[in-house]
Amino acid sequence: MSELAFLGLAEASDLLRRRRLSPVEYAKALLARIERLDRRYHAFIALAPERALAAARQAEAEIAAGRWRGPFHGVPYALKDIIDVAGLPTTAHSKLLIGAVATADAAVAARLAAAGGVLLGKLSTHEFAIGGPSFDLPWPPARNPWNPDHFPGGSSSGSGAGLAAGFFPAALGSDTGGSIRNPASQCGITGLKPTYGRVSRRGVLPLAFSLDHVGPMTRTVRDNALLLQIVAGHDPGDPASADEAVPDYAAALGQGVKGLRIGVIRHFYATDMAGDGEMVAAIEAALRLFSEDGAEIREITLPPLQDFSACGQIILAAEAYAVHERWLKERPQDYGVRGRERLLAGASLRAADYLQAVRWRLKLRDAAAAAFREVDVAVTASSLDPACRIDDDEALARTYWRQARMPFNVTGQPALVIPAGFAKSGLPLSLQLVGRPFSEPMLYRVAAAYEAATQWTRRHPAGLA
Amino acid sequence: MTQSLRDQARALGLDRLADEHLAQLERALAAMARHLERLPRDLPPAQEMALIFRAKGAAE
Repeated sequence: MSELAFLGLAEASDLLRRRRLSPVEYAKALLARIERLDRRYHAFIALAPERALAAARQAEAEIAAGRWRGPFHGVPYALKDIIDVAGLPTTAHSKLLIGAVATADAAVAARLAAAGGVLLGKLSTHEFAIGGPSFDLPWPPARNPWNPDHFPGGSSSGSGAGLAAGFFPAALGSDTGGSIRNPASQCGITGLKPTYGRVSRRGVLPLAFSLDHVGPMTRTVRDNALLLQIVAGHDPGDPASADEAVPDYAAALGQGVKGLRIGVIRHFYATDMAGDGEMVAAIEAALRLFSEDGAEIREITLPPLQDFSACGQIILAAEAYAVHERWLKERPQDYGVRGRERLLAGASLRAADYLQAVRWRLKLRDAAAAAFREVDVAVTASSLDPACRIDDDEALARTYWRQARMPFNVTGQPALVIPAGFAKSGLPLSLQLVGRPFSEPMLYRVAAAYEAATQWTRRHPAGLA
Repeated sequence: MTQSLRDQARALGLDRLADEHLAQLERALAAMARHLERLPRDLPPAQEMALIFRAKGAAE
């Protein structure tokens, strides 16, 4: 069973296409594993077994008849529960949306279904993709498979936890201030926040319009590239969708880093905030590895991390309050404590403050663009610490903000988080690769070189492998 | 809970907030005030966010 549990998307796809693996047996095996183990991790809000098996049977019949749709045909996946799937509830992990059944597929859900994927169910999140792990919501928070006493990151918590637990090879999350990359860091998986506008957000509950991204979460870099290939592309139904050509995201995977100019934004984790020693050592080791493999390492400087954080949080608070104002006025008691407190932050913001933040954002974006003209890609931290205990409110409050992810929601640049080893505690370490807008193929190229050299992605949590 | 906070919440239309919610509002506004302290107030007047129209989009 563990072989199927940790089968990657690319490997599974190959077996499915050659009819060495039955989509039905694969889906049944994963559903049984989830039924058996998820009571410990709470990755899922709701399973959809009948729907999954129907899709798997259809995939099996089509592949047998020679109608293979492509690399996602028959592959099981799951979606963060802010993404609409027609006929299924979208709860956002909140009491406010219990019983809210979606009437249409989100654009990304439609693309995955058309590619022949097998949807297993909907995944835990922080309430409305904000706040933190909460014990006062209708469903418990997801837990970290590397140690269930620890936080799995968020807000795409179930996506990260489910991948690390071997429940599925592919998931989608959303990222407004780091919510794909935080669980990627804490759960030791691979998560991409694509360039703003690269992946449609139509049918995905908004948190903050100008910062929201949907992106792929997988265990390996190649799988991530394959999943992005399916969901990337222009959608006239998303006002922020980019009308840019979609490249072959896996094309450069084997090319290595020789000759590349790899930047390092060291001040984010060394002076703006002091990263945990083991996390910093892992990032510096990665830089040495890139250098040994023929890349040129250049230190680059962006505005201080705290400037990006403040700018992003002001914009996030204002836009999120615009989404939630009516509920906060009429049903404040139906929010969980953490979500309510974060959303109330926008209640008294003045129009001038929001507009100054938007104007500041352009300056920050231009400063980042200038720095990135000197390099092909840059390395920095994602989380500055390994995961803390999920029940330690003080540690959660402290470490939640110790991150270098918000800068790239502010600038809209693509940012990929990959595993970078393990702390002495056994919890995952991570690093973040950042590129120019629409340079996802370069991020995958560099990440694949690192992954091949280190093979951290081959490790799985004890007792689950 | 101070009366001024209740008055502030009422002025914002948040008159259904219970005492525990008002305490949260107070913490949330304090956290936001710290972010606002970093907000530059001297950006040049010409630094604007543009609302861009494209012929291609308009024609489709």
